[in-house]
Amino acid sequence: MTGLAGTGRLADDLYLMAHDEVTGKALLSPRAVGLGLAGGLLAELLLAGTLRITASGPAVTSAAPPVDGLARAVLGVVVAEREQYPVRDWLAFLARTAADDVANRLAGAGYLAWARRGWRGQGWVPADPDCAFAPIARIRAALSSVGPAPGQGTALAGLAVACGLGPRLVQYLPPQHHRRLGQAMAQLDPGLRAVIGQTRAAIDNALLCHRI
Amino acid sequence: MSRIQAVHTRSGSVSKALAADRLGIPAVLFFILAGVAPLTVAAGVIPTAYETTGLTGIPAAFAVVAVILAIFASGYIAMTRHVISSGAFYTLISRGLGRTAGVAAALVALLAYSCLQVGLYGALGPAAAAEAAEHLGLHATWWVWALAAWALITTLGLLRVDITGRVLGVLLTAEITVIVCETVAGLAHPAGGHLSFVTLSPAALFSAGFGTFGVLAVVAVLGFVGFEQAPVLAEETRRPKRTIPAATYVALGVITIVYAGASWAMAVHAGASHVVAAAAAQGPGLLFGLGGGTLSQAAQLLFVTSLFAAALAFHNVTWRYVYALGRENVLPAVLGRTGGNNIPKAASLTQSATGLAVIVIYAIGGWSPMSYLFFWLGTTGGLGIMILLALTAVAVVAFFGRDPRGESAWARLIAPVLAGVVLVGIIVLAVRNYATLLGVPPGDPATWALPASYAVVAAIGLGWGAVLKVRRPQVYATIGLGAQAPR
Repeated sequence: MTGLAGTGRLADDLYLMAHDEVTGKALLSPRAVGLGLAGGLLAELLLAGTLRITASGPAVTSAAPPVDGLARAVLGVVVAEREQYPVRDWLAFLARTAADDVANRLAGAGYLAWARRGWRGQGWVPADPDCAFAPIARIRAALSSVGPAPGQGTALAGLAVACGLGPRLVQYLPPQHHRRLGQAMAQLDPGLRAVIGQTRAAIDNALLCHRI
Repeated sequence: MSRIQAVHTRSGSVSKALAADRLGIPAVLFFILAGVAPLTVAAGVIPTAYETTGLTGIPAAFAVVAVILAIFASGYIAMTRHVISSGAFYTLISRGLGRTAGVAAALVALLAYSCLQVGLYGALGPAAAAEAAEHLGLHATWWVWALAAWALITTLGLLRVDITGRVLGVLLTAEITVIVCETVAGLAHPAGGHLSFVTLSPAALFSAGFGTFGVLAVVAVLGFVGFEQAPVLAEETRRPKRTIPAATYVALGVITIVYAGASWAMAVHAGASHVVAAAAAQGPGLLFGLGGGTLSQAAQLLFVTSLFAAALAFHNVTWRYVYALGRENVLPAVLGRTGGNNIPKAASLTQSATGLAVIVIYAIGGWSPMSYLFFWLGTTGGLGIMILLALTAVAVVAFFGRDPRGESAWARLIAPVLAGVVLVGIIVLAVRNYATLLGVPPGDPATWALPASYAVVAAIGLGWGAVLKVRRPQVYATIGLGAQAPR
């Protein structure tokens, strides 16, 4: 069940980072949470090797489909579409349901519980604040590791910054880690870099278009 | 089962879902009209313009400027189809005329939108003071209310609240209804019992010489500011090729009828030869006096909410400009950062600080807020928008000159050249007759200082653009890319 090691899935970690570890309140605007988690779901499939990013958008590889139900469902939609869509369209599409889907997946793993949240009614609340805070510690560990930084930790940190969690990371990471993140990002798989870049552009675009 | 799995298992579901999430014509139209704030113009700009300029051709000017803007819009919208432009004017100018010109245009736009936003406090303060004195028995000077509004807008800006959706829809519908009712009431009771068309005739545009038209056109453009916002939403619309032009032209049509009608009714009701004196005596009451009793009361209250909504809308437009420029490192990068909840605090607070400084200066100076803050800064903002329109028209021609991209000769060449020539002519006339626009004797320092402020920021922009080109080529390369700019 739950543990400080987390579920090992990128979007789960991003969800926990984007919400207060005690109250479960979102730290980003709903649209930014959705777009960030959409990027997280695509990144999970890229990290698993079941998806790659081509010039015309995400394409399915011959690798074995993921075990996780949500990841399989996302992959299923990509497979089912005959038309190719660019990454930003996939982000917009997945963003509509990503927050609910990832919250349900986290609840299934025991990390979130549906509970009363003060006067604002019911909502998802972390089952254990320490577990909910752990993704930040994982980013810290990934960026202080000797040798090349692990892809998943780097992608998580990159996506977190892209969707507006930079100030939260600044709070908990030593300054040298920010330089390290820049270097690690440069070494990241180009597909993951593209997803992170497009996530950031989609959120900035929403902000500039009065949609956030 | 996850929600994504529950709904989408067949090909084509992605495009359907994306389309459902996007905006149609009514949403874009509301978005445009909200920024335009009809009652702010009808009760604020029009009476003050009659009073300050002493000119009576305002109704005709709205009609003529609408035609010029419609011609401008065909080239403008054609270009936005090929350039993703969340930053609107300066993005197009950078792509058409080069990035250095883009930086200059960005600073001109920033000054223009800032003038428009801050100027609104000059009408909001007195209007709120009058309402509070009449209905609540609270007597305080205009700047106390302006500061209260400023504090509220600063707070809402930091919470990133846009008055959107239903609230805005209701306000907007109420505003337009009230203006139409006042217009009808005014026309039903013409001065001397005779309905005069003299203020609508083209001759009224040149009543005090050729230069008059330049002055009147700036006033009219001020009324139309906000019509240019539709392409900002292009990526968010279902069928941008149809939605964006449709919303823009419908908005132009609605605004023209409402403003030309209201300003004409004021002249008809007071009499064309007396409207200037009546405006001086009554101010916004020139509109409210057209109808009577309840209608007038409702209009006065809505005037305050309209001004507030406009001040907030322009606050949100201005910080988005600051933010976009910060993101591209044209302005300090700190302005392009967001804090918790994706709120660009630094950009929002910068605009608030400008507002505070201006209100305090006017309060200490003891200057009339309606004339010197609302109208002077408002019209100066209008002039800035006019400069941007002219530059954009030139940028459209330059952009399509390199590659027509399948656009018609009308959209890529004829319309923008036509609009550009007329707009430049208007700007020259307006600047030469700025004394009439401001209602001061020729030679007053304000007549050159206000227009010259654009030359100053443009020069700073050109210089800064040149510095970026040489010193920071990687920043220079991303100017005008908007949200697509890497960082």
